[in-house]
Amino acid sequence: MTVLRIDQVSRTFPARAGNAPTRALEPTTLDVGDNDFVTILGPSGCGKSTLLRIIAGLDRPTSGRVTLDGREVTGPGADRGMVFQSYTLFPWLTVRENIAFGLRERGVSQAERHDIADAFIRRVGLSGFENHWPKQLSGGMQQRTAIARALANDPKILLLDEPFGALDNQTRALMQEMLLGIWERDQKTVLFVTHDIEEAIFLGSRVIVMSARPGRIKAEIAVDLPHPRSYKIKTTPEFVALKERLVEEIRTEALKVAEQA
Amino acid sequence: MRPLEPTTSKQRVAYGLAFFVLFIALWSWATFGGHVSKTFLANPLTMVQEGYELLAKQGFLFDIGMTIWRVIGGFALAAVIAVPIGVLMGAYKPVEAFLEPFVSFARYLPASAFIPLLILWAGIGELQKLLVIFIGAVFQIILMVAVTVGATRRDLVEAAYTLGARDSGIIRRVLLPSAAPEIAEILRLVLGWAWTYVIVAELIGSSSGIGHMITDSQALLNTGQIIFGIIVIGLIGLISDFLFKAFNAWLFPWKLA
Repeated sequence: MTVLRIDQVSRTFPARAGNAPTRALEPTTLDVGDNDFVTILGPSGCGKSTLLRIIAGLDRPTSGRVTLDGREVTGPGADRGMVFQSYTLFPWLTVRENIAFGLRERGVSQAERHDIADAFIRRVGLSGFENHWPKQLSGGMQQRTAIARALANDPKILLLDEPFGALDNQTRALMQEMLLGIWERDQKTVLFVTHDIEEAIFLGSRVIVMSARPGRIKAEIAVDLPHPRSYKIKTTPEFVALKERLVEEIRTEALKVAEQA
Repeated sequence: MRPLEPTTSKQRVAYGLAFFVLFIALWSWATFGGHVSKTFLANPLTMVQEGYELLAKQGFLFDIGMTIWRVIGGFALAAVIAVPIGVLMGAYKPVEAFLEPFVSFARYLPASAFIPLLILWAGIGELQKLLVIFIGAVFQIILMVAVTVGATRRDLVEAAYTLGARDSGIIRRVLLPSAAPEIAEILRLVLGWAWTYVIVAELIGSSSGIGHMITDSQALLNTGQIIFGIIVIGLIGLISDFLFKAFNAWLFPWKLA
């Protein structure tokens, strides 16, 4: 059964101050099934974030439509949880209150909110930080809280827009394992945007490669690596072979961008 | 001294006090040394004596009370009306487009120029004093609050939307808490300006208040009393500023964390 259907979705940004309109996304079609983990890989400026924002309902497609369980997406909603690249925790709320934000908006009672939030705090390994302000957390901890906040709402699909892009390499690797662990255990439909090839392979069941300017889907590569995956898989021949293939795909795109610039 | 190098808190206090000492020393030198005529500037001792006289015998505490009440009354009235309008302007662009040009214009109308008109409309009673402060404060608060609310981080608003927040939730649970510390700072700033307006309001057509005492003393050439009055205003301003800051720090612990 298909959960998310992206049907001929395109986005053109209107002309501004003498410049021609920008075609950010060519008509794109993609289906994401139940409990699928799809990573979208592409160089910067390939429209991958635009596509994710359209799915989230934060941007409107110029043409085409997005449906979730058959219902057309017309705006943002709690059924599509989103984690951003920038740190978007509410600075005036504690870790626990941040995670419970969506629950409170839905009118869940205080006691129940508390229980659900604490369960997710444990799952992302932030026990002991329930009452900390976001300012007191490291970047990795903030993104873990943001993931917990999106998951606590129990969305049908989790959208992640380069959530680990601003983190250092070691933290990023740990975060990938944590996210994958949650997915392997709880099963969730996930759409993960990244420009990091290794990240795309390690996390995804499928990697969608996007081309640059205008953005469109260039290739789709299945990742048949077994679960549960540990960090050790990154040095196996199968992983390295996939990586080599994707490096070539991405390199041609990056070169195109460099030539245009 | 090197650029941006911090000082210890002890040094800070010492430097801060040193300036007051220097200031009073210069004042003493000018007055006790006979460099400035007594008619124009009283010496520090006379000032203290006159101050005691005012407080003990002329009921100056009542004047101080009147002035404080006027400032707080006019300021509170302005804040109660201006903050919600500012929030609406910041949140809803059509409201902003509707009100912003007028408020920007009204902001430059000097409150003191309204005094003759306000006396005509509201007499010389308390209402007129409150209205001077109200006019001086209300447009400033509206505009600054609107700018602050309008500058709320877009990614926080978007995050709230993806968490299922509706428009009222965005205002109550994102725009307001995000802008609240800035709004408190705006109110602290404007309260300082309100002190200027109240004295001006009391200089004209008033029978009580610090400003009224100052005009009376001018007629008697009592510069000691005038200076004492000015210093009292400064002290009250300093205290209210300190209280406001402490209150804000208590209200918004996440800002300091």
